[in-house]
Formats: sequence, structure tokens, C-alpha cells
Amino acid sequence: MATHTEFHVHHDSPEKVGRRERLGVRLLIVADGSFLFAIIFSWFYLRNLNENNAWLPKGVKTFSTASSWWVIVPFIIVFIAHRISMKNRSLRVPAMALSTVLLIVGAWYQWHQVCNMPFVAQDANGRPFYNGGYASNWIIFAGTNMFHYIITAFITLGLFLRGLRGNLLDPVLEEWRQRVAGSWFTWVMIGGILSAFTTSIK
Amino acid sequence: MTTLSHKPASARPIPNPERSLITRLNMGTGTVVGVLFAAITYYLLRHHFSSPWRHNHGMDMTNTHFVNVTLLSTMLAWSFGFLVGIGALIGPFRWLIGKDLTAEEQLYLAGDGQGIKRYFKYCTDHKVVGIQYLVGVMVMLGVGGTMAMMIRTNLATPGSHFIAPVVYNSLVGLHGITMIIALIIVSTGPFGNYIMPIMIGAADMAFPRLNALSWWVLFTAIPVLCSAWFLGGIPTGWTAYAPLSDQAGPGMNAFLATIIIFALSTAVAGMNITTTVVAMRAKGMKWNRVPIFVIGATVSVALAIPAFPTFMVAMIQTSLDRTISTGFYDANVGGSGWLYANLFWIMGHPEVYVILIPGVAALMEIAPVFVRKPLFSYGAAIAGFAGIAGLSVLVWAHHMYMSGWMPSLNGPFMITTEFISVPTGLLFLVLVGTLWRGKPWMKMPMLSVYAFIWDFLIGGITGIYLSDVPADNYLHGSMFVTAHFHYTLMGAALTGAIAALAFWFPKMTGRMLNDRGSYISFWLIQIGFNVLFLGMFMAGAAGQPRRVADYAQAFAHANLISTIGAYSVGVGMLVLLWAVVHSWRSGVIAPMNPWGSKTLEWTVPYPVPLVNFDEPPVVTSDPYNYGRSVK
Repeated sequence: MATHTEFHVHHDSPEKVGRRERLGVRLLIVADGSFLFAIIFSWFYLRNLNENNAWLPKGVKTFSTASSWWVIVPFIIVFIAHRISMKNRSLRVPAMALSTVLLIVGAWYQWHQVCNMPFVAQDANGRPFYNGGYASNWIIFAGTNMFHYIITAFITLGLFLRGLRGNLLDPVLEEWRQRVAGSWFTWVMIGGILSAFTTSIK
Repeated sequence: MTTLSHKPASARPIPNPERSLITRLNMGTGTVVGVLFAAITYYLLRHHFSSPWRHNHGMDMTNTHFVNVTLLSTMLAWSFGFLVGIGALIGPFRWLIGKDLTAEEQLYLAGDGQGIKRYFKYCTDHKVVGIQYLVGVMVMLGVGGTMAMMIRTNLATPGSHFIAPVVYNSLVGLHGITMIIALIIVSTGPFGNYIMPIMIGAADMAFPRLNALSWWVLFTAIPVLCSAWFLGGIPTGWTAYAPLSDQAGPGMNAFLATIIIFALSTAVAGMNITTTVVAMRAKGMKWNRVPIFVIGATVSVALAIPAFPTFMVAMIQTSLDRTISTGFYDANVGGSGWLYANLFWIMGHPEVYVILIPGVAALMEIAPVFVRKPLFSYGAAIAGFAGIAGLSVLVWAHHMYMSGWMPSLNGPFMITTEFISVPTGLLFLVLVGTLWRGKPWMKMPMLSVYAFIWDFLIGGITGIYLSDVPADNYLHGSMFVTAHFHYTLMGAALTGAIAALAFWFPKMTGRMLNDRGSYISFWLIQIGFNVLFLGMFMAGAAGQPRRVADYAQAFAHANLISTIGAYSVGVGMLVLLWAVVHSWRSGVIAPMNPWGSKTLEWTVPYPVPLVNFDEPPVVTSDPYNYGRSVK
């Protein structure tokens, strides 16, 4: 029984299950997209309001535009790697291995940025605070990227390990899951580009 | 609804999986691991970092920001730990390592043959999840209702000192958020999970493990919210406006963690219900044959999917302001309270319809059954739901007329808000058209249909007053507003949910709901409700502000009337609770289809088999062809 690993009480076809999973993931992407929309809204709202001229107070340093884009490069590579691996099955395992490594590197780089934020000041009591609307908003974009890194790395690692073990499930369903993962990879790339674009506008 | 094939489900063999980890996990292990995670997090944050490090970074326990970091992290750790302890993450972990759950393990997770124990486990059977939601909602309504009684007792007479003003503020906030959460899930939780998959002829939900996850994630939020009591309460009201929420005490962390957890649960549940309805309908169930309750529940959860993440963002930003000194809502460092108001109400107004639509849809499901007529204009009902859902995302700033945000937009928002009464009117048209010249069978669910028409008419019309900028200028922030939204939320959503409970009680419990108890509770609740909130309209129209612990002598009579009404509602709810508990334990055994309804859920026996249908049903007609079919 160990090989009969998938239990569908109503014995739906793998195509049906696959289409269902794709719809579910796309709905979750809608939710995640709404989250991203809300933080982009926050960015432009506070930037344009520029309350007390404190969006970027005088003397506050920012991250370079390039660093906003460097941090999302792994998402783009993962997307491309996945597309290639969908066309060439023999590349799936190495593509997912590479993707996992790149995502870990990307997450590390994002963490490195968080640890070296140039806009954290200290108040009269020596306590740190985020100086300006830009600084506040930047941290939530970094958090969102980090969330995407963790989820995406979980998926690529899973696909890699499953690929190593061979086809565990019905191969048709496994194929569908590769495609469903592609929906997520596409989304995190688009989300990453939107984030980088937004944080480039200071 | 006609089915070509339907046989009673045969008895399934009881699974006998190996004594793996899955079989040992339950609510108890979840609680233990959750508390352990919380304790470790608390300990690490308080003691792990050396004192000099904390001092240099402004992080000592005299710093409120660090207290907030500690509390928020501890609460989220509890939630995560509970999910680990109950086994919610076993499925994803097993997928990760490429060792999927076996068929036996999945059957075990479905709770087959486990009796009452499955209600305390991570059970993937949608019927079990439905009952878990039902009991959870009843507990939440009980807690929120008790707080309401305390509020009304304090307001019975001017100068009452039944509750201290600070405690009163917290009560109002906790009552608000408890009831909002309870009402969001009151129909889609129990009936959307238990009944809806059977109504569409599905064997299960699309994602059974996520279904269980949505409930247990929500469950972890309940103790978090309760902890607010011991942390100084929520002094901001349920709206938690910034910068008040930035400055509030430690209890605010409980509110923030609750909403973040709840938003996750809502996203998962919304995705699951929507996918189930879109992808798992029985053969022959075209969109124009889908029962109207299913349509309503789907519109509601689909609306919640994009709406709640903005609420989550608002809460995360508040958390960051409170923990690491960002300044989203602090004007000194470039923030703005208007940002919060916008994010909150972009979610807040669609959320009203997330609450409302399933209740109305349940009543539309009930009306044709009890007047033995087709649902009048199914298309108008769909148009009404779609119109409400579409417009609901364009009306949020009517909550902000008086805030000073973009006065030039008051006019456009007034128009969109008033325009939403058109699709809402369609819902009335459908119900009144269905009842027209019918011969109603006046059971409790049917009484609720009439009650809804009365209550929601008052709630809707007073909403038009409030959508009007000049009228809102006077009524904003008064008890008039409180009465208005109670007429819509309680008058429509809760009335619909109670009717749905009475209607589907036989299918969910195998027993009939006690008739006498349900009639008595109905009249006590409805008469009390109208006395309570018509009195509140009087006080509000006379100028009494809301959210105050005391008031002028001029409002004394209206408040006394309201409090008398509240006690009637309270007694009515207790009678209903008695009726539910008594009937569940020892009520009259229900026949398979006590109401003679034509939807699919009444074609399966009680207890409903694990896979609902032995053979997938085939639908050949619409569900409301009583007498004549709808063309």
C-alpha cells in the first residue's frame, strides 16, 4: 500500500484534481495580490502625502535602486528555470535544486539588507526608530519578499526531493503539480518586480 | 432537485492504521505544544538576549515596544505550536520529503469510525468541521452576547457604575470584534462546511486538510483574543483606529494577533469553499441549478479573499509601529492615521456584505420550501448578490466623511453608497415575490424570513440616511449608527443563521429542533431586538454619542427601553440554547427530509456517510421546481 499514496474518496481523475489545485492556488494568489496591493497603496499614499516632510527626512540614507532589483533576481531565475524544466523533464531535479539554492541566497541577501538598514535612527533615549515614511514602508516590503522566499523555497525543495525519489504519485497528477507550482513562481516573480519597482520610486 | 442515481451509502470498513504519530495527536497535544512554543518564545525573548545588548537596542522590559514584541511573538508562537501539536503540518511536511500520506492515514484523518473523538482532532471530514464551526460560533456568540448584556446593564440608567469606564471601553471593543468574527463565520462556517458540499453533490470539500486547517487556525485565535482581558483590554473599539491603537496598552497585541490569525483562516476557507463550488458540482448542476444558498456563500467568501488581506496589512503595520517603532500612523515620522482608516474600511465595508449575504441566501433557500413555490426570479437574486459584491468595494469612504479625508470625494462615495440599495432591493424583491400569494408553513425558519424583511428594511433605510453626507454630519458617531448596523448585521445575518440552524438541524443532528423552544426564542429575540434597537434609534436621533459609559438624563428613557429589549434578547438566546442542547441530546428523531425540500442534502441519510453519496448524483432539474418550474 505504500505506493498508493494519494487517497481521493471519490476517485476523481488526476486532471480534475490538478485543475482544482490550480484554481485553489490562483485564489490564494488573489489574496496575496491583495496584500501586495495594500502595501503598494501604503507606499504611494504616504509618499504623496509626505506628512511633515517626513517621507524622507533630510539626511536619511536609502537603499540604492539597484539593490531593490538585485534582491528579486532569484524569483526571476526560478521562474525561468521552471519554464525550462517543464519543457525538458530531465532538467527538473537540477532546476529545482538550483532554484532552492538561489532562493536561500536571495533570502540571505534580503536578511542582510534588513540587518544593515541605513535609515534606522535613535531617539533621545537611544532607542532605534524608523526615520520617515520611506523607512517604515521599506521594512514591510522586505518582510513580504522574505515570506515569498520561504514559501517558494519550501515548494522548490519539495519538488526537488520528490523528483529525487521518482514519481511518487500518479505521474499525471505530479505533472499537474509542477504546473500549479508554476502559477506560484510566476506570481512571486511579478510580485517581486512590482515590489522592486515601487521601492525604486523614492 | 431530481437525481438519477442515489443509493444509500454502504458501511465502510473501519480503518486500522498503524499506531503512527497521526493517531496520537489531538486538541490536548496541540494545547501542550502550543503552550510549550509560547513559553519557549517568551523565555527566549526575555532572557536569551544579554542585558547590555537589550539596553543598547532599547529593548528592556521597561520599554513598551519590547513588551509588545514579546507578547505578540508569544501569541503567534502559541498559534503555530498548536497547529504543530495537533498535526496540521504533517501533510505539508510529508509532501516536502516526498512521503505522502497513505490511503489509510488519510482515512484516519477523515475520522472514519472514531466517534466523538474526531471532533477534538485534526479531522478532514467536512461534516465534522461544520459541527466544530457550529459549536465554536455558539461559544463566541455566547461570550459576545454576555458582554452585550453587561454593556446594556451599565447603560440602563444614567450615572450607573456597574462597570468602570475603562473596563466599559474594553467591553465595547471585545464585544465588537468577538461578534464580528462570529458573524463572519456564522453561516459559511457551519452550513458552508457541513451542508454546502452535499447540496452540490460533492463527496467532500476540494481541500479537506485545508478545511480542517481553517477551523483550527481560527480556534487558536480564541484564547489569544480572550487573553486581552488579562492584558488590560482593548480600549479602541473594534475599529482599532490609529494612532489610538499605536498607543494602546498590551491588550492591543491580542487584538492584532487575533486579526492576523483570523485573516489567514479566512483566506484558506474562502479559497476552499470557492474551489469546491466551482470545481466539484455534481454532473448536471449547471450554474442556474446551483441552490441559492451555495451562490450566496460563494459570493461571500470570494469577496473575503481580496478584502481581508488589506485588514491584515493594517494590523501588521500597527504591530510594526508598536514593536519596532516604524511610523505608519505617526505623523511625526511621515505616517498618517488616514492610511489606517483607508486600509481598514477597504476591508470593512465588503466585510459587512461578507456577513450579510450568506444569511440572506439561507433565507432565500428556506422561503421556497415553506411556501411551496419556486424562488421568484433566481436571476434577480444572482444579480443582487453580484451587484452588492461589486459595489461594496467602492463605498468604503462613507465611513470617513467626517474624518476630513478627501472632502471632494464625499459626493462620489455618497452616490455609490446610495446606489448599493438597488441590488439590495433586488433581494427584497426576490423574497417578497417568493412569498407573494404563497401559503406559508409557519415553522420557525419561515417566521425568520418575515422577521428578516422587517428588520432589514429598517436597517437598510436607516443606512441610506447615513450614506447621505449632510445627514451623516449629524448622526455620525451617535447611537443611531450603532442601531443601524445592528439592524443589518443582527437583523439579517444572525436572523438568517438562526433560521438556517433550525432548517438544517435535522440533517446535522438527526433530530428535530424543539418546536416550542424555537417559537418562544424567536418571539423573545425578535420583539426584544426591535425594542432594543428602536430605543437606540431614539437615543441616537436625539444626539446620544456611541461608545460612552455614561450619558445625559435626557436619554434615560430611550436607554431604559433598550436595556429591557436587550434582556428579552438575552432570555430568548438562552431559550434557543436550551432548545438546541435538549433537541440534540433527546429531540424527536428526524425523518430524512422533514421539510419536503428538493435540494440534494435531503437525499442522504443521517448520519451522512463519509463520502456523502455512494454514487455521484446526477442533477436533471433546478432545485425550486415546486408546482411549476422557473423559466
